[in-house]
Amino acid sequence: MDLLSNKRINTFQMLLKQIGGLQILLGFMLWVPLIVSLLYREFYSALGFSISSLIILGTGYYLHKNIQSVVEPLNRHALAIAALGWLSIALMGAIPFVIIAYITPADVAQQFVPAGADYPSSLMYFKNPLHACFESMSAYTTTGLTMSVHEPSIGKGLLFYRSLAQLFGGAGFIVLSLAFLTQSSSKAAALLYGSESSGERLQPTIKETARSIWKIYLGLTLFSTIYLIVGTSVILPDYPLVDTIFDSINHAMTAQSTGGFSTLDDSIAGYHSRQMEILYLLPMILGALSIPFYFRVIYEKQWSQFWKNTQTRGVILACIFGSFILTLLLWESGIVSDPIREGVFQYVSALTTTGWQTSNIGSWDSSSIVFIVMGAMIIGGAAGATVGGIKIIRIQLILKGLFWHVNSYFLSPNSIQVTNFNQKRLLPEQINKELASAATFTFVYLLMVFISALITAQFMGEGYTMADALFESASAQGTVGLSSGITDPGMSPVLEITYIIQMWAGRLEIIPLLVLFRTILKGSKPVIN
Amino acid sequence: MRIIIAGAGEVGYYLARLFDQELHEIIVIDNNPERLKRVEDNLGIVTILGDSTSYKILKEVKVETADMLIAVTEWEAVNIVTAITSKKLGAKYTIARISNMEYLLDKKTLDLHNLGIDELISPESLTARVVKHILKEPLLTESLKLYDDKLIMMGLHIEDQAPVINKTIAETTSLNPENCFIIVAIHRKGETIIPKGQTQIKKGDYLYFIATNAGKDKVLKYCGKVSITIKKLLILGGSRTGARVAGRLCQYYDIKLIEKDINKCKELALNLPKVQIVHGDGTNVKLLEDEEFGTYDAFVAVTENSETNIFTCLMAKETGVKKTIAMVENIGLFNHSLSIGIDTLINKKLAAANFIFKNIHNGGIYSFLYGLDAEILEFEVGEKSRVTQKIIKDIDFSALTIITSVVRNGNAYIALGNFQLQSKDKVVVFTLSKDIRKVEAFFN
Repeated sequence: MDLLSNKRINTFQMLLKQIGGLQILLGFMLWVPLIVSLLYREFYSALGFSISSLIILGTGYYLHKNIQSVVEPLNRHALAIAALGWLSIALMGAIPFVIIAYITPADVAQQFVPAGADYPSSLMYFKNPLHACFESMSAYTTTGLTMSVHEPSIGKGLLFYRSLAQLFGGAGFIVLSLAFLTQSSSKAAALLYGSESSGERLQPTIKETARSIWKIYLGLTLFSTIYLIVGTSVILPDYPLVDTIFDSINHAMTAQSTGGFSTLDDSIAGYHSRQMEILYLLPMILGALSIPFYFRVIYEKQWSQFWKNTQTRGVILACIFGSFILTLLLWESGIVSDPIREGVFQYVSALTTTGWQTSNIGSWDSSSIVFIVMGAMIIGGAAGATVGGIKIIRIQLILKGLFWHVNSYFLSPNSIQVTNFNQKRLLPEQINKELASAATFTFVYLLMVFISALITAQFMGEGYTMADALFESASAQGTVGLSSGITDPGMSPVLEITYIIQMWAGRLEIIPLLVLFRTILKGSKPVIN
Repeated sequence: MRIIIAGAGEVGYYLARLFDQELHEIIVIDNNPERLKRVEDNLGIVTILGDSTSYKILKEVKVETADMLIAVTEWEAVNIVTAITSKKLGAKYTIARISNMEYLLDKKTLDLHNLGIDELISPESLTARVVKHILKEPLLTESLKLYDDKLIMMGLHIEDQAPVINKTIAETTSLNPENCFIIVAIHRKGETIIPKGQTQIKKGDYLYFIATNAGKDKVLKYCGKVSITIKKLLILGGSRTGARVAGRLCQYYDIKLIEKDINKCKELALNLPKVQIVHGDGTNVKLLEDEEFGTYDAFVAVTENSETNIFTCLMAKETGVKKTIAMVENIGLFNHSLSIGIDTLINKKLAAANFIFKNIHNGGIYSFLYGLDAEILEFEVGEKSRVTQKIIKDIDFSALTIITSVVRNGNAYIALGNFQLQSKDKVVVFTLSKDIRKVEAFFN
């Protein structure tokens, strides 16, 4: 065997070994919904989770222990590990859906359907592995597009699994593995950390940083849970307490991860309460603010960060003005019954890329749809949070860069023009570099949205417009999860796969996927021209 | 007082000279024999060769009996260690020269006073203070505040527009109706004249005044100056001094700073908000023109190179910049500053030495006036002093001394011939350097 292919095999062995580690975490994670299933006496679901857990743990253990890899992950590997890791998580994460769909007898599944409703259990859709993969990818990437047409009918266990998947997917598996597994050297850890997250180091070591992230993240989730339980009990005192607690836990997890899966059939609209919708605005916004921001506020007590932090300020201002504009547009079109209620909730849901839906977006006029696509879903919340989209900081950077460029015409050519951005002072070459990477990313991002919109336009059903196609594509790419109705178990498989790829790319900010494809096609040898 | 000075560099040398004039017991420590030789030869002061951080050396100079220890070597760490060690050994008051601004900015976190340093001084920071002071009064070539700002010493250049040209001082008394200022010295062609009534004022003279606060504007009018304010400031050189000046003044002026080292430029640009940093060589005339340096109100040249500073200042003066300030390394140049044609020269070691001298020392010599062979002295009139017995014009001073002004019960007066001194009056006396001893005898 020649040296080159030997090297390539080594690289793949290393990739698989890393992925094995992630699988082990996933396998253990499944024990939580297993317990929930048992609590709700959903024994077929519990069995399904047990089998899935064993399969995933077995594979993970095999990969992790038996592959002898001497190669430490390098920069070029880190991104490929992230891309492949997330794909493997989404694929393995689909196993419980398929197994439970097959082993649950039809009459048992039908018992999940709430009393008084007369539709077949949505669990049966997951017999199609593609649907299961879609649901799983949507869950782990915190998107929230769903194949479960009627959510309550898939059982509490699976509902909880979906929400938990969003919670874990939001913070990131690699961050989790860095926090609790001590396998990598600190250099490798730093590389892996940077591949998945914003890369901002909060504590001196990566491990401490990863732990801080998880502490803050879980703390916020806990806060939202209590907030929602109390809020729901006050607003809807007649709602059964057990259901309130179950819904609140699930919704807190999906809000913090800006995932947007719901345990109700009509998402938050299922409460039929204006106050409940107002109540749910806060957890969404909390989820869209960056973890480093919380770190500064909670650990370092810098309260001024609420105004000083560029991104936090951006998110808050965008929520206020965007909601206002969307309300105006909806009010003008006269399509929806309550423009303020739907305008505000949908804008915040879209900007934070949560994706809870309270309005029939498919029926909106084109200008409202284009506004929510361009002005919310494509932008997204703060980098360093669990949101998708281009991220508000890149938009702010590009705007700043524009002003910087215009201003530079008024200075002498020898001047060193420093820009204040995000509480840092950037030299011309630094801002140029930042701008180049932000602009490249934005361009590729938009390109992907448009290509996918074209594919959608080809394969979508009757009665949808190009605006709907654009909306659905932006929703998948931005891991938002709002739907104009195109996403449905009856959709074309081509479209379904397109969206799976988009969600995967959207979570990881595209580049890791390109690196992975490059590694697969050409190996990890550098190109020298 | 017993004063120990560690470091015989420019600051140490200059301080030794200042203190020596006052007959203090001074010992200078340095590990460079040549420098010590200069001190011994020129000033006749006792020197010790060795490292000032050494315990043995400090014991040898009997640091425990020292009233003051001044550590002014070029090395910050040496100064800090010397000061702390001396304090622990029993020196009463310690001063350390530093170059790192951190110590001055963040006094709370690391309190060097607790460690045993009573005063920290940074030449760069003090120079910035001097520049700030100069730019506040751009018309003055020299200004010095006396007695908590109650009196001011002002130096002005007499140019074409002055109404007093070719008049004797006696002829111009109508311009000073309230007696709120007095001319104390005239510098003409390298010579210092203590003025009398019949002395004639010529174009090109540098006049030195002592004025009360009310008299400041009158002095400007006397010399025909129209008051100007500085808005735009051009700084050449991004050395520590330049950075400090820009950082300190950016809240008052629009500042552009030119520096030729690109890496320094970047560092400055990152650390100095509100200051426009330009990369370029200050000796390149084309660049200065590109940066429209003629449109600036003031030009401060603080590169490491004295010649560059002087040259660019002259050029700036030529293009119409109202106020030029040049930093020079060589203190000797100060004696020629008035003939060079630059408004003001500054030197950071001088700034440091003057600061130490002024702030530590109570009473006595305020400052040397460079270019002048005269000095301003401050005395408190003693109980049994001879001067209280006569009015001023009858006191038999040397002809070359002027009692300029008096502070009595917190009020400042310009002292004229028929003024009678009382004990406890604080007087400001202007005298030629060679007469200091004689004058001292009068007041005690």
